[in-house]
Amino acid sequence: MPVTDSTKPDDLLDPDFTAKLDRLELVSRKIFAGKMRGERRSKRRGESVEFADYRSYVSGDDLRFLDWNVYARLDSLFLKLFLQEEDLLVTVLVDTSKSMDWGEPNKGLYAKRIAAAIAYIGLSNFDRVSLFTYGHGLRDALPGLRGRRLMFKAIEFLTRAPYGGPSDFTTAAKQFAIRQPQRGIVLVLSDFFEKGGYEQGLRYLIGRHYDLYTIQILSPAEVDPTLVGDLELTDIEDGDTAEVTIGRALINRYKQNLKAYCQGLRDFCTKRGVNYFFTTTEVPFDQVVLSYFRKRGLIR
Amino acid sequence: MSFLSPWWIAAAAGLTVPPLIALYFLKLKRAKHAVPSTLLWRRTVEDFHVNSPFQRLRRNLLLLLQLLVLIAGALALGRPMFQNVETHDSTVIVMIDQSASMGVIEEDGRSRLDLAKEQAKRCVDNMSDDARAMVIAFSDRATVVSSFDADKAALKRKIDSIELTESTTTLGEAMSLAEAYTQNIIIGGETAGTDIAPERPDVFATPASVFLFTDGRIADAELVSLQTFDVSAMMVTSVGTRGDNVGIVAMDARRRYEQPDVLQITATVRNFGPAPVSVDAVLYVDGENREIVTFDLGAAPGQRGGPRDATRDTGGTQDAADGDAGAEDAAGVGAGPSPPAGDGLGAPAVRVVPFTEVFAGGGVIEVVLRTDDALAADNHAWTIAEAPRHLRVLLVTPGNMFLENVLSTLSLTFDTMTGAVYEAADDDDLVDGDRSAYDVVIFDGHSTERLPQGNYLFWGAIPKIDGVSAGGKVEDEVIFNWDDTHPILRYVAPEAINVYEWTRLKLPPEAVSIMDGQTSPVMSFLSRDARQYLICAFKLIVEDEFGRPSMNTFWVTQVDFVVFMQNAIQFLASNIAATGERSVAPGQPVTLPIPKGVEQVTIRHPDNATDPVPSAGFQNIHYARTRDVGVYHVEPGVPGADAFVVNLFNAVESDVSPANTLTIGAESVRASQSTVRVRRPAWQYFLAGVLALLLIEWIVYNKRIFI
Repeated sequence: MPVTDSTKPDDLLDPDFTAKLDRLELVSRKIFAGKMRGERRSKRRGESVEFADYRSYVSGDDLRFLDWNVYARLDSLFLKLFLQEEDLLVTVLVDTSKSMDWGEPNKGLYAKRIAAAIAYIGLSNFDRVSLFTYGHGLRDALPGLRGRRLMFKAIEFLTRAPYGGPSDFTTAAKQFAIRQPQRGIVLVLSDFFEKGGYEQGLRYLIGRHYDLYTIQILSPAEVDPTLVGDLELTDIEDGDTAEVTIGRALINRYKQNLKAYCQGLRDFCTKRGVNYFFTTTEVPFDQVVLSYFRKRGLIR
Repeated sequence: MSFLSPWWIAAAAGLTVPPLIALYFLKLKRAKHAVPSTLLWRRTVEDFHVNSPFQRLRRNLLLLLQLLVLIAGALALGRPMFQNVETHDSTVIVMIDQSASMGVIEEDGRSRLDLAKEQAKRCVDNMSDDARAMVIAFSDRATVVSSFDADKAALKRKIDSIELTESTTTLGEAMSLAEAYTQNIIIGGETAGTDIAPERPDVFATPASVFLFTDGRIADAELVSLQTFDVSAMMVTSVGTRGDNVGIVAMDARRRYEQPDVLQITATVRNFGPAPVSVDAVLYVDGENREIVTFDLGAAPGQRGGPRDATRDTGGTQDAADGDAGAEDAAGVGAGPSPPAGDGLGAPAVRVVPFTEVFAGGGVIEVVLRTDDALAADNHAWTIAEAPRHLRVLLVTPGNMFLENVLSTLSLTFDTMTGAVYEAADDDDLVDGDRSAYDVVIFDGHSTERLPQGNYLFWGAIPKIDGVSAGGKVEDEVIFNWDDTHPILRYVAPEAINVYEWTRLKLPPEAVSIMDGQTSPVMSFLSRDARQYLICAFKLIVEDEFGRPSMNTFWVTQVDFVVFMQNAIQFLASNIAATGERSVAPGQPVTLPIPKGVEQVTIRHPDNATDPVPSAGFQNIHYARTRDVGVYHVEPGVPGADAFVVNLFNAVESDVSPANTLTIGAESVRASQSTVRVRRPAWQYFLAGVLALLLIEWIVYNKRIFI
């Protein structure tokens, strides 16, 4: 069921949906130091209105943050510390290998929609949003977007991102880890059908202490194949062929294998503090974003 | 099952099976299908192959099914035919031959009767459920084994109960019986007397299917006249294949006239088989082996081409009791148009085997053929030889030179007295116990009522008993008719007898006429109350108008007269054995004198079975349970008549080769070698098999493919 994604800008987000997204914000389980002042609390003490702590005055401190009331009562100089509000780095890694351009509904389109929704939420909350596509390594990047007005760039980037070639998550993860040392939320949208394995790639990302989310997207035809008979199956990524005589027993065995594969990915992620989502393109994507991500604590 | 077009099978199978197998050897052309990743598929297929050792077998199961489909299709193309008995009629009549020739043991060790019964049971099985069948077994007479019954199991039990007899075959009675049953519309009850007429007579309006199981050796087949059955619609099954048989077709034992101690025995042995045989004939006297003769018999003419038509021989029944089965004419016995003189190259097919035995006593003479042939019943022949008796004859005559001369030449002793002396004689002189002291008493012109049990010959006189009377004289008539088969007239030429006058006799109906004039009997035989009377209506010497003796016939001067007197005295003294009344054909009734005052006699059969027979106050009994060949003893019996023998002596029965064609009445019926079968097309069953196999294949295929 190869349905090619000819993505149009309107396909990714519609106004009704973005209206719903306006009220949401991304939540990181970790508090990261941002580069710029943003709308989030950071570990740094800064100049926000939100009181954090007191400490003793040392020379050179900004006299504006002295608590004069305490000085009047205790005759000691104490400095008021306020929480620094910083921005959050949200990165979305979208798999645009050939295998994502498949399925009804299309897996790639589904991934792009999720990416667009996440980006919108991030931009709406003045988070720093970066978008990456990868296939056999990182392909295109749209880093450092901030502010809702740049949403069109994100849409444009996703719309134009082409599919093609085999998938090599390990290489892509390695390159990404090198390129982005700054910690933040990282979402990986892929089917995770990696002939070279997904483990090493995930280890690269885990090593950077990102707040990592893996979202596995499969089409219904992959979960519940309707193939029958003597077939020569061709891998659309690398042209590899497999001769199969598909019957009920074989289908059952395939389902068992798929379940075991997904369970393996889930176990790998869970053990390492990585959030794992599984969805099929059959599930409405707004439901995934509004309900599913919310339940799992990615957004609120 | 047979195939009308067997070459189609080979052609269709040859054209389709090799390509199918070749296709299985070729690589399967698979449909191409794109998938996002073959990762899991490849892993699954590997798993599947590892976990399914019967993968290859599964594929081969499909191949096997497809091959079966092709083969079934090819067989259907071959136009298969079931051969089966079709009995659509609601009335079925099963006739089974139980005669001696059905006892032939065929190659598979079973008798012809067993084969016939098996086929008859198959015939019953093939009846439609609403059909009724009756079973008739026939040999010398017909027996309704089962009246009309629809219970197949019961019918088969009844068929199983049919036993072999050693009797001859007659079909007429069986056919009459079958016709009578179908016409009278009788439905048989479970037991005798419970037969009922059906409520719907039209049940039997449909024609009956007649199945005849026989080996085709039916003596009277051509004489059968059918009223309702259609001969051409009858289904005749010829049972058996063997034709190799040697049998005794006639036997005669008589004492040499001049040497009464010497018994001359002749057995006529005939080969009915297709191959020459060497036979040992063994003579037993009272169970003691006396003589063995080894001889060769040639193949029966016309037997080398397999089974013959029964029609050729069916007319040639030999009457074993006709007393005329001498060696001279034995070659013509039952031979039809041409005597079976062998194949012209080697030994003849018929041989008269003579034995000469010094045997002064009385006993059972048995000739046994030592040969391994199809039919055993005709390998034995028996006769009863009586001790040579020196006959005592009383001649009651006023004086008759001719009679006295004749009697003096015969080997007997005789006394002469006049009628007046006879009437006045003491009982002690004439009677010995209950019977006459003389073996034969000859009354020459003397009628009397003094007749103790015995044998009497009257010349021109009558016994004064009920029903016998003499009327006026008959003159100027000729002897018009005579029974030249009667033993008394053996070697006598009645046509040469001229008698001037005789007495008009009135005789009871049971009297057997031997010679007849134009208006009255001339010579008759009457048996009554343990007395035998041979009554001749004419005197040998009459008185002329001057009272002088004058010859009434010149017969007395001829040799024939001497022969006649010998025959008459021997006959009356019951001294004619072997072919006389004491040898009968199987199933034929025999009349036996019994001692006075005995209320019941026991007949001991050859197999030592006994059969009590009440006398009901009569001096004679008639006994008809003579279906087995051999010697029968009467206990207690009249001395000299206390045994009789049953011999097959039937060329038709001995000719055991099954007949291809049976002529019943005027129509011929072709007999099949096995149960008469009707061909029924069977291709539809094969086609159904093809469809069923296709269905199974579809299921098997889907079991592999669909989820």
